[in-house]
Amino acid sequence: MSDILLEIKGLKAGIEGKEILKGIDLTIRKGEIHAIMGPNGAGKSTLSAVLAGRENYTVTGGSVTFLGQDLLKMSPEERSWAGVFLSFQYPVEIPGVSITNFMKTAVNARRKAKGQEELKAGEFLKLMKEKMAFVQMKPEFSKREVNVGFSGGEKKRNEIFQMAMLDPVLSILDETDSGLDVDALRIVAGGVSSLHTPEKAVIVITHYQRLLDYIVPDVVHVLKDGRIVKTAGRELVAQIEADGYDSIG
Amino acid sequence: MGEMEKIFSIPEGHSTSMVIMSGAGGRRLLSCSGTARPAMDAEDFDSVVLEKDSVLNLVYIVMPGAGADIRLTADLNGEGAGLTVSGIYLCDGEDRLPVMMDVRHNVPHCNSRQLFKGLVSGKSKADFYGKITVAPDAQKTEAYQENHTIILSDDARVGTKPQLEIYADDVKCSHGATVGRLNEEEQFYMRSRGIPEDEAKVLQMLSFLAPVLDFIDDSHLREDITARVDSAARDLVRLTSMSRW
Repeated sequence: MSDILLEIKGLKAGIEGKEILKGIDLTIRKGEIHAIMGPNGAGKSTLSAVLAGRENYTVTGGSVTFLGQDLLKMSPEERSWAGVFLSFQYPVEIPGVSITNFMKTAVNARRKAKGQEELKAGEFLKLMKEKMAFVQMKPEFSKREVNVGFSGGEKKRNEIFQMAMLDPVLSILDETDSGLDVDALRIVAGGVSSLHTPEKAVIVITHYQRLLDYIVPDVVHVLKDGRIVKTAGRELVAQIEADGYDSIG
Repeated sequence: MGEMEKIFSIPEGHSTSMVIMSGAGGRRLLSCSGTARPAMDAEDFDSVVLEKDSVLNLVYIVMPGAGADIRLTADLNGEGAGLTVSGIYLCDGEDRLPVMMDVRHNVPHCNSRQLFKGLVSGKSKADFYGKITVAPDAQKTEAYQENHTIILSDDARVGTKPQLEIYADDVKCSHGATVGRLNEEEQFYMRSRGIPEDEAKVLQMLSFLAPVLDFIDDSHLREDITARVDSAARDLVRLTSMSRW
């Protein structure tokens, strides 16, 4: 059996008639952690948006296969059920919806899609409690409205909490380090690292080195002007930090 | 059999909570608790009078297909009176729903609050007309009015006309109205966590309507009505997604 989780071939995509991704090739195997680095405007967030199925982006060429399925034909919720998770750069506030209600609906919708029974209230609450402790979220957060009034660090911890709850095969972390102080960065990165197994993969999208000090990548790609201009091992991170993106590509 | 019989008067010091529901089967009083009860069939009154230190909490629920209107004139005639009128309206198909609120602060030291929230779908139309009048000597009045509507289909219409007429100078009054659509960023966020699109919309709709449901004092009744509103909201979403094809 193939160990390929995600295969992107010649992916071209844009928004409002403007082409941003100009032909991306990327293969991600089980157990791997990939970093995608690049200057602002390179297309990093577009790539994560296209992978998660954001509807205002248009794919104009290429293919994306996830576990043998055509990812681009799937709705955002089907991608989630299949095991794709996007940690948002800017997590969305949902006034009036508590974290408990939000997660219960998400977890049970996935179980339903897979033909499983809904979790019993007790089982669900136990799972919530365990995963919240995992990212050091206080229990009272379960009653709070999703992301409403959260600090930057709390929002990102909430993303990793959701990742722990949904147990994805492929996690895409879009600028997860932005807005984090060092303590929150450690909690978030520690969470991601301990969720990682040889059966899963992670894509870390970031502008800076600092998150990669904690989540150590196997492969590093540099994205510039909609193309991957260099792929190498983790030593590339230090080179970028020392010489900048201008030195590459 | 004159107009007088449609007035519900709440005597000094009394308080009453009522929930009135309109649906395809007409209008009916779901609950009435407290120390004052209207003499006539409760659902028929279109006017209330609040005497000194009396309190009225009135909740209207309008379900799709009700073909009803909500009309109320409220006179705060005794000092210390407090009025809360709130409502949820769910409109679909060819529904036409006028909501006419006329709240009159005739004496000092009274407070009133209005909160109406609705979802309009299909080719329905909801019109909110809300007026607050504060008489010249009704000092220390507190009067608030809010009307918010979410439009679910391209052919649904909403009109909202809040009006304040204030003749006293030492008062706190405000009104606010919004008309909008369900937020698509929220929907994408929920869908990316595996919540199906329709389910995401229902969550948004219920969280939008929840502040009105919170005015229902009796928790059993609140749960029962929440379940009915949930089911009606699901129908609205289902019909809206079907009409796209």
